[in-house]
Amino acid sequence: MIADIVRSRAFVQHVVLLPVLLLVPAVAGRFYVYILAVIFVTGLLAMSLNLLAGHGGAYQFHHAAFYGVGAYTAALILTRTSLPAWVAFGAGPIAAAATGFVVGAICVRLNKLYFGMLQISLGSLIWILVLRWYSLTNGDDGIHGIPMPEFLSSATGVYYFVLGVVAVCLALMYLILKSPFGATLRAIRDNPQRCEAVGINVRRHQLIGIVVATFFAGVAGVLFVVLEGSVFPDMLFWVLSLEIFIMCLLGGWFTFYGPMLGAAIMVALRTFVGSYTDYWTLVLGIVLILLIFFLPEGIMGIHLRELVRQRGRRASMKAAE
Amino acid sequence: MEQSITLAGFTSQLLVGLSRAMILFIVSSGLSFILGVLRVPNVAHGSLYMIGAFVAHSVATAVGGVSGFWLALVLAPLAVAVISLIAERTLFCHLYEREHLMLLLFTFALMLILGDLTKITWGADYRSLTAPPFLQGSVSVLGTAFPRYNLFLLAVGPVVAVGLWLLTSRTMFGKIARAAAVDREMVGAIGINVSWVFALAFVLGCLLAGLGGALVSPTVSITLGMDHTIIIETFLIVTIGGLGNIWGALAGSLIFGITQSIGVLILPQFAIVFPYLAVVVILTLKPTGLLKSVW
Amino acid sequence: MLRVENLRKSFDDFKAVDGAHLAVDPGELVAVIGPNGAGKTTLFNLITGHLKPDQGRITFNGAEISRLPAHAICRKGIARSFQVANIFPRLTVFRNVQVSVLSQKHLSHTLFRPAQRMVVEETERILESVGLIDKQRSVAGVLSHGDKRTLEIAIALGNEPELLILDEPTAGMSPEETAATMGLVTRLAREQGLTILFCEHDMEVVFNVATRIMVMQQGRTIIQADPEEVRRNVTVQEAYLGGA
Repeated sequence: MIADIVRSRAFVQHVVLLPVLLLVPAVAGRFYVYILAVIFVTGLLAMSLNLLAGHGGAYQFHHAAFYGVGAYTAALILTRTSLPAWVAFGAGPIAAAATGFVVGAICVRLNKLYFGMLQISLGSLIWILVLRWYSLTNGDDGIHGIPMPEFLSSATGVYYFVLGVVAVCLALMYLILKSPFGATLRAIRDNPQRCEAVGINVRRHQLIGIVVATFFAGVAGVLFVVLEGSVFPDMLFWVLSLEIFIMCLLGGWFTFYGPMLGAAIMVALRTFVGSYTDYWTLVLGIVLILLIFFLPEGIMGIHLRELVRQRGRRASMKAAE
Repeated sequence: MEQSITLAGFTSQLLVGLSRAMILFIVSSGLSFILGVLRVPNVAHGSLYMIGAFVAHSVATAVGGVSGFWLALVLAPLAVAVISLIAERTLFCHLYEREHLMLLLFTFALMLILGDLTKITWGADYRSLTAPPFLQGSVSVLGTAFPRYNLFLLAVGPVVAVGLWLLTSRTMFGKIARAAAVDREMVGAIGINVSWVFALAFVLGCLLAGLGGALVSPTVSITLGMDHTIIIETFLIVTIGGLGNIWGALAGSLIFGITQSIGVLILPQFAIVFPYLAVVVILTLKPTGLLKSVW
Repeated sequence: MLRVENLRKSFDDFKAVDGAHLAVDPGELVAVIGPNGAGKTTLFNLITGHLKPDQGRITFNGAEISRLPAHAICRKGIARSFQVANIFPRLTVFRNVQVSVLSQKHLSHTLFRPAQRMVVEETERILESVGLIDKQRSVAGVLSHGDKRTLEIAIALGNEPELLILDEPTAGMSPEETAATMGLVTRLAREQGLTILFCEHDMEVVFNVATRIMVMQQGRTIIQADPEEVRRNVTVQEAYLGGA
């Protein structure tokens, strides 16, 4: 199995890519290092959503709630207790996954849009609690100046930490998607009824998928805390959930790296368009409409369509899986 | 919290909750109607509500007086209807054959665009509108002072409910719209232009959002961001009511408004949490909502 | 093996299945026939747990299964195909069958092992037996209609069923495809000792293949007998064969 991975083309590409990313802090300015880290964190969040949305076909409409739960858990442990930082970093994803389990258990009883609406409701409940529970969460103001361990005091240290954690998470997600569970998840996306008829407990698989995906969303939340040193209620707001949905769509949601690309484009748009105009959401809206009309499978989706045309059916198999 | 809950306090809070529920009902019935016919959760609904409030403010201030107020109540929903008609006919109508998710994302794009267009047109400042003189001040209800404007809302809500009921059950359009919700191929097959049925349903739903915005404008500060709160609330309302069921929207609005106003009496800081809790309780017990969904 | 007793199911006011009886014994090839809307598909959906009956009992190998969810019924050894080609269109042919085999072997929950090398032999054997082995790398969505229907049967075989339920396996097929599919079905029954329950419009197919026939009309079982007796039965001729 290890030998397979080492021999695969994807592995080689990553072996080339990783040193490049490792060298970035040495050559690029602080600001770009920071932006790159933001892209990694947002991309991880989007990819965790895509486990469910693109590969699982679930209407996971309030994924940001779990991102926020992970971030707030870590932030609260770091500011309110004297527990070591690694406890906070571990507790974030676990809290997110636990929340995911509870929300998921309620939602998987329903299909498609009802699933989505129910999740918006439950996620909004979490959001409003965070917003209103001043004594615990500081409400609107959020929590700032969160203390960090020594090795995360420099921008470079943060960058390497984020890069390392994201790389490990992506590797894990890749393994999961290639596993029987991943295959089953895609089968459920394609045809839940048929899955039931071959003895697959669709709801249980979806629930496991939700727990896994919310765990990674929690990791992204913790990384946000590491990166920004603060948390605020907007992280759990529903609009962010829709934004990450768009990232998946933008990059191509039947692909592995699509959401990461989508996140990169969104972060870049926000950073650079946002510095020219106050109306960056207008630009985003227009981009989204163009996307819906002309590129519904996303940017990497079009790349796949090209591949299909060139190499025929073999490539289209890769496209799907 | 120290103050004991008096009957007068309770009555007054209840009436506040009821009048809030009327606004929520008007907006969410529009959302529910669109959901029922087009099967799309219209994310831009909150933005149209916000635009309704801004237009009402502009009209009422420009014209002034009582006539300005009435004119605002007419023009604001119409302006919103025109905006939604344009969006529907130029872009949205080309997506009906596509996945539902694409329709939903389109309405999200619309929300982003309308939000910024509102910012461009009216700026980021808070605005407030005073009700016309005959609706100012308060009257005494069961020993408590109760704002006249809230009583006005309590009267308007049922009117809209009855109007909608008549429209959906007694008119040709209502019947076709309901049939299209159940089986669009069949409606298409009997020679009705389904696309225009959808357009009308969409515009009507949006018009209700605009009306809600116009009606709420004298009671709140009109500001950017009011779209975000209302859209979450109305989504929850139509979910607990049963997707696409107009009476469900009414039930959901009442639950939402009343639990919040009772929450104010019990735990003021967490008042807004109460309706959300009510939603979670209802959905845990009855995941598809209180009344029969049209789906 | 399978016993259906006095089964009833209504949708609002419409009685889709209204007193159906059926017995299937090991090794049989039982056909369910009846005019459109007689409730054949509803009956199959009730047996496989895709619908819950209002009344009546379904037992399989002596155990009551009428209240079990679909996936649990499948685990008991009943696999099925659907009336419309019900496959995983975006997955490869190989993966379509593999998903089913993985499920059968309780491997669907495996998170961190690559699926690529798992249950390959079993999957390929099934593809071989239905004749889809050459197309195993194609995306299922691009297959021809006949191949999709065959793939459905292959997916069902992944569950190593005792009883295979086929809902109009030859619907929409050309005469050649029909012959090939029915040939496949009878061969599977013979070679793998499968018991098969199917419904079918084509009377010629039914009377050629079936060892026993159950006739449904308006949700009710009219007769359940061997093909000769069904052919002779006057009620059936009036109700169905005469009208067809």
